[in-house]
Amino acid sequence: MTNIILLNPEIILAAAGLFILLAGAFIGENRAKLLFHLGIISSAAVLGMIITQAGLSAYGTGTMWILDPGAQFFKFLILAATVFTLLLSVNYTAIQPRHIGTYTALLLWASCGMMLLSGAMDFIYLLISLELISISCFILTGFEQKNPRSAEGAIKYFLMGGLSTAVTIYGISLFYGATGTTNLFSYASAVDLHLSDPAYIMGMLFILVGFGFKISMVPFHFWAPDAYEGAPTPVTAYLSTASKLAALGAMMRIFASVIPHHALNLTIIIAGLAALTMTLGNLAALFQTNVKRLLAYSSIAQAGYMLIGLVVADPIGREGVFFYALAYLVTNMGAFAVALVVAGKTGSYELDAYDGLAKRSLGLSIVMVMFLLSLAGIPPLAGFVAKFYVFGAAVNSQHYLWLAVLGVLNSVVSIYYYMNIARRMFFVNSEDSSPVETDLYTAGVIVITATAVLLIGLLPETFMRMIKYCVSFHF
Amino acid sequence: MTLSHYLALSGVLFTIGLFGVLTRRNIIGILMSIELLLNAANINFVAFNRFLYPGQHLGQLSVIFVITLAAAEVVVGLALVMAIYKNLKSAYVEDYNILKG
Repeated sequence: MTNIILLNPEIILAAAGLFILLAGAFIGENRAKLLFHLGIISSAAVLGMIITQAGLSAYGTGTMWILDPGAQFFKFLILAATVFTLLLSVNYTAIQPRHIGTYTALLLWASCGMMLLSGAMDFIYLLISLELISISCFILTGFEQKNPRSAEGAIKYFLMGGLSTAVTIYGISLFYGATGTTNLFSYASAVDLHLSDPAYIMGMLFILVGFGFKISMVPFHFWAPDAYEGAPTPVTAYLSTASKLAALGAMMRIFASVIPHHALNLTIIIAGLAALTMTLGNLAALFQTNVKRLLAYSSIAQAGYMLIGLVVADPIGREGVFFYALAYLVTNMGAFAVALVVAGKTGSYELDAYDGLAKRSLGLSIVMVMFLLSLAGIPPLAGFVAKFYVFGAAVNSQHYLWLAVLGVLNSVVSIYYYMNIARRMFFVNSEDSSPVETDLYTAGVIVITATAVLLIGLLPETFMRMIKYCVSFHF
Repeated sequence: MTLSHYLALSGVLFTIGLFGVLTRRNIIGILMSIELLLNAANINFVAFNRFLYPGQHLGQLSVIFVITLAAAEVVVGLALVMAIYKNLKSAYVEDYNILKG
């Protein structure tokens, strides 16, 4: 227990969550927004801590979890997403002032779970961090109590989540039966003993279900559009970035790093699911009329692109996934921030709310086009470079050329629905021509994410150098 | 009683639970079926621990964690059921159809 100190960032974040929850019970309704600021400050402070510890690599209490640059990178992404989400929540009116404390605390705890998940090396530890994320996110999704959409999205999310957790636990029990341990370190040293054990293979497949649910991989994606549409918009942004990327990081560690390919080759299954995920996500997005639903299906498709890098799993593929995760975080967060501003003015998430937006707020339309182009993968923006690295890795590996071709075709399809929003903003007129104002906090998020999207697109080498440093999992 | 008996029991329990989740219309029924799935995993853990790795406690320990997690999850689940029941006055999943497309 000597090195529990390595868990300091998570402990601080959880304690800050507790403090905010308690303070929420005593603070007056007119000052409740202070709690958001407390949450922002504590997550930003922990973010700073993670940056100073970037080069650290160590094992925690025995071998339950691990600290390495790869885990630190995903913690950085998660905390950045948390800060953005809290900034977006400050002026989100559907959260009642007396519930702000609960809301902020739950967000911090979910982030805490994600940080634990990104270093997990033991299936029991992994399970608990997954549940910490799931349970907090179920409540956050259903947070607008008076809104039947929110409740319905939460219940669908909960039922799918409960089922996938149960299947994962069953998988872990089979894994335990086959190997006699739940620890990935002990397992990795004796990997050849279990090569052809059917219980072990079943167990790993069942465990894959749990991750597939979290990153909304087809066929475990049914919850995503409903939960995303029902949830409060900042929570939607959070679910589509932080929750997905944290699970992706853990999945990379387990399926592409810890378990050697000669031991159990799930790659072909994940490759097939990646192909299905991006194709189905894109095809369903073509027919959406609600912008939150459209972005939900688009985020399913984006998960498919990221899985390509995971399938390739050589150093280039891994760098690709890390880069994609960074680019996806800033792009998607920005797109949701703009959707939040537009809905705040027009009260609607339907696509016709975007008619004539260019005349009502030119700046907002321009950044929205930037985010959409980046999601579609058009140069010189972040999304293009990310797709370039991931598809390049697939081409390099020779076996997965077909995945790269399918990915490019899918990107072409996706341009249609992304540009449909741009067309509405610039070429369709609306009756209402009152200007759309952006409040300070949301404007901050939009400016930061838009700058990041541009910078990552223009100076990919600089960011790649940073990622090359982070990319090693020393399991 | 051998390990196979226990594994067969847990397999049957898992199948019943999965069948229940996919076919039940009442949301409480679905919650109960999820509990069945978790208990199937618990039987596995304990049986493997007893028959294959008798020197360890890891399997029994895991069961404690799983039971705790299941309790936490079901509390949140029932709270969500209450929330949607207040809105829609129904506990049947086919009535939850505002969100679609």
